[in-house]
Amino acid sequence: MIQVRARIQERETRGAVHILRLHAPDLARQLHPGQAVLIQTGWSLDPFLRRTFHPIAIDEATFRIRLAPDADRGRAWLRMAAEGTEVDALGPVGQGFSLPDHARRILCLGQGDAAWALLPLVRAASARGVGVALAVEATTRRQTIPARDLPLSVEYHVATLDGSAGRRGDLRPLLPDLLTWADAVMAVGGMDFYRFLARAIEDARVILPRGYAQALYQTDFLCGFGACQACAADVAGGRRRVCLRGPIFDLVDILR
Amino acid sequence: MLNLAPQNKLGLYVDSLLLAGSGAVGYGDTWPPGLRPEAFGAIITAPVSLTPRKGRPQPRVAEIPGGFLLDTGGHNPGFRRLVESQARAWRRLDVPVILSLAGGEPGDRAWMAAHLEELEEVIAGIELTVSENVNLSETAAFIAAARRATPLPILARLPVTRAAYLARTALIAGADALIVGTPPPAAYPASKTLVEAPLAGPAAFPFTLRALSLLAELDLGAPIIAAGGVYSLDDALLCLEMGASAVAIRGLVWRDPAAARRLSINIRPFMPEEDEG
Repeated sequence: MIQVRARIQERETRGAVHILRLHAPDLARQLHPGQAVLIQTGWSLDPFLRRTFHPIAIDEATFRIRLAPDADRGRAWLRMAAEGTEVDALGPVGQGFSLPDHARRILCLGQGDAAWALLPLVRAASARGVGVALAVEATTRRQTIPARDLPLSVEYHVATLDGSAGRRGDLRPLLPDLLTWADAVMAVGGMDFYRFLARAIEDARVILPRGYAQALYQTDFLCGFGACQACAADVAGGRRRVCLRGPIFDLVDILR
Repeated sequence: MLNLAPQNKLGLYVDSLLLAGSGAVGYGDTWPPGLRPEAFGAIITAPVSLTPRKGRPQPRVAEIPGGFLLDTGGHNPGFRRLVESQARAWRRLDVPVILSLAGGEPGDRAWMAAHLEELEEVIAGIELTVSENVNLSETAAFIAAARRATPLPILARLPVTRAAYLARTALIAGADALIVGTPPPAAYPASKTLVEAPLAGPAAFPFTLRALSLLAELDLGAPIIAAGGVYSLDDALLCLEMGASAVAIRGLVWRDPAAARRLSINIRPFMPEEDEG
């Protein structure tokens, strides 16, 4: 983990959503898909807590974070910060996704705005020649990832609850075929989403074996290095610090 | 070197006015980037209880204007496991380690203090937290019990709103120094759940200052460590001007390790050249 000044190099606005490209070569080089970056917002000690981001794109010198519209004053400050502004960033936090050596076909499953955290993994796996299917379940089109942001080789499925993009409803009907096809699953969503995924895996493959599915435990970090214990949650058979053991866990460990 | 326990035959010698406050670096096993043990005169561990505690479930933290509330529910691995796993690491730290002992059943803290005998070369002192709701006799009883159990320096951490009321009793009972202290408890929602915990962050600083001011009037003659809301060199120097012998930081280490490191460097010139204690 390192602490660096990251410069807002570029701002892209997509409606009310802002995507910031942050220039921080030392940090970008260390980042792996699924890891978190903690960013100070504001000019003073208020807001006090750093905001937690899972980058949606990582390259050699920069990483991108996505700011969906919400009422949080820290993220509001970031939305308004001008290009060229330097922010204090701490990261990488925790363990990222780990692409199994044997994986030739991975299924990436995301829910809502959180699904964007899968993008660096999707791109990295695709670049390695791994077959990637991405399935995203969202409330509405605004949360979904535009197909233009994905490598051409990625098979993309979308379901929206309001029917504004892809199929209307959730991903349930798609999962049996996708889970039979995939030899590894990477997921980002809420706990209900993970329980639903675990049941679908058991239906499609009889059991949920350890090592088959990885999932991101969503939480906000305070210190990010294990001292404060603010992120301790019931995972991996105990109450453990997510910043050290996660935020990516085996799906088995998130649910038991 | 500055002696933070001049009345204790073992003394508590520190080479910096800046201490890592309770749990700032966990049990001395979790360090942020760029911050090393030599930044501090001593480190105070997170509180440990006699038996393991699972602590409270999520959410544990709530942000408030000017700070945060953190309630871990006393999450800790328990005394025996902590000592077994950390004793060797503490020996290597090369900075005095002050073990914070959490309350529980009556006598727990004295029992733990008594069982530090083998670690007296490693543990430089113990921190005992006086909770918000104890009276004078209870305060005297548990500090005196710990005093009888160990010759190690005892640092009594007082609630800031009652520090002046409890200070003399704590010292008479056997405390060697006072930590001021635990900010007042507060509550704020996080994820639709109320988090109740002592105020933390810059918002705690005025409470620390008031307690220091009241203690200065008592002329106690014991070292006082200011803890709670110290986030800058100016904050630290103000505490020293108001009678503190040293300052402890925690939130700054968590939020901005680089700023904590700068503070550790910038406070060095203010170290007294010779301890007269």
